[in-house]
Amino acid sequence: MSFLSILMMVLVLTIVWGGFLLSLLVAIRKERQK
Amino acid sequence: MREHFTSRWGLIISVVGIAVGTGNIWRFPRIVAANGGGSFLIPWVVFLWSIPLIMTEFAIGKMTRYGTIGSFAVLVGKKFAWMGTFVGFVATAIMFYYSVVAGWCIRYFILAGTGQLLNSPDHESTWNSFVDSRWQPILFHFITISTGALIVKRGVVNGIEKANRFLIPALLSLLVLSCLRAITLPGAAKGLAYLFTPDFSALLNYKVWLQALTQNAWDTGAGWGLILTYAVYMRKKEDISLNAALIGLGNNSVSLLVAITIFSTVFALIPERAADVLNTSGPANTGLTFIWIPQLFSIIPGGDLFSAFFFLALAFAALSSLIAMIELSTRVLMDMNISRNSALLGVYLVTLVLGIPSALSMEFFLNQDWTWGIALMLSGAFMAFAVLKYGVHRFRGEQLNFPESDLHVGRWYGFLMRFAIPAQVFVLITWWFAQVIQADPEHWWNPFAEESVGTCFFQWTLVISIFLAANRTIVGRTLRKERA
Repeated sequence: MSFLSILMMVLVLTIVWGGFLLSLLVAIRKERQK
Repeated sequence: MREHFTSRWGLIISVVGIAVGTGNIWRFPRIVAANGGGSFLIPWVVFLWSIPLIMTEFAIGKMTRYGTIGSFAVLVGKKFAWMGTFVGFVATAIMFYYSVVAGWCIRYFILAGTGQLLNSPDHESTWNSFVDSRWQPILFHFITISTGALIVKRGVVNGIEKANRFLIPALLSLLVLSCLRAITLPGAAKGLAYLFTPDFSALLNYKVWLQALTQNAWDTGAGWGLILTYAVYMRKKEDISLNAALIGLGNNSVSLLVAITIFSTVFALIPERAADVLNTSGPANTGLTFIWIPQLFSIIPGGDLFSAFFFLALAFAALSSLIAMIELSTRVLMDMNISRNSALLGVYLVTLVLGIPSALSMEFFLNQDWTWGIALMLSGAFMAFAVLKYGVHRFRGEQLNFPESDLHVGRWYGFLMRFAIPAQVFVLITWWFAQVIQADPEHWWNPFAEESVGTCFFQWTLVISIFLAANRTIVGRTLRKERA
């Protein structure tokens, strides 16, 4: 895999999976505060 | 007394069940492949516009506590209730043939689980003989809709929430296991390279952007009225904005997971024909799933087990979406003061009968998939219209940014509702129609053609005329005070 492919993979996975995991963590924290 | 989802997680997992359907598994990888792999992912990531529509549905259902018809009557006014009737009808018309699709998945799971699928010498004839047998698609349609109705009969907490608490974690586990197996195949990196290598010149092609818009519009279940229906059962102080983001991103995470699995597998096993295979469409995108996937699994060690995993995951994804469709129609009837059991029985029997034409005829199935698939864009536009009519600032202030909200929804929401979503609907419907006219210049107007502009207008006009004519009666029945 080229550097560009790896960079793209990291970016897409960070936005989509990272965004999902971040939202999940925030939701868990908010739920614990309630 | 109305039931409520027992917790935030019960609601989220049930709505993820709506969003993650067969489209994530068999449509997304094919569309990515057909639109330049990595290049497609850029606009696909940019257009996460489904999230504000998910917010809108949550807020409307939670605010009005009515199904699609009552919601529109309360939010926008009685004379616009026909829009809600249309939204509900589109999801119901899709349910008729979606039950057939879910039946295919169950049939293939049984074939794979009993070892018959991979032993077949020709997977194309296995698929054709299944579809052409007529009685088998009908039988599996009956099994699927009966299973879905039995789940919904148990109610929101003991039926829908409980089923999704099993189906969704099981589905995700199966997909993660399949993905791990796929990326460890020798040569899988070629698939990942194809999936993630951007060809920036492809970004100049408007079709790549339109396909990304289409995928995001269809993929999450936003605008169908299904999330609105589940929102009727939300707890009073339940957050909307963060839940919507979680569901939108969760849905796209699953799509990406499946794409990694499919691309890795196809490129590892048949690298020289990989691009052709991934582009294989077949009726309703079934070519890759029911013809090529079994061929691929037959080459992998342990393919029997993994093919059974794959089709079980597909069946779970389909079933979790189907039960939401059954609940939507049932909720609409319950709003008309019909008891849950009677409403469900009616929905079950009608679906049982009206699913048969799609089970018997692939042409009829494709016509319905085309007509009501495109109509979903109109449903999304009606949702945006409802918010605009109510007042977008008022809606944002009262229904989205309430004291218990976990995230503040900014002014961008108003911009998307006012401009982006109506523009998206207009551009996409025009583009899809233009493609059909270009492909078949002689018959695009024919109302009886399989996929034509004429068939859409004919069927949409017919149902909208009926709903407009019966609007007063329907609203009168729906907005009665005592409801279950």
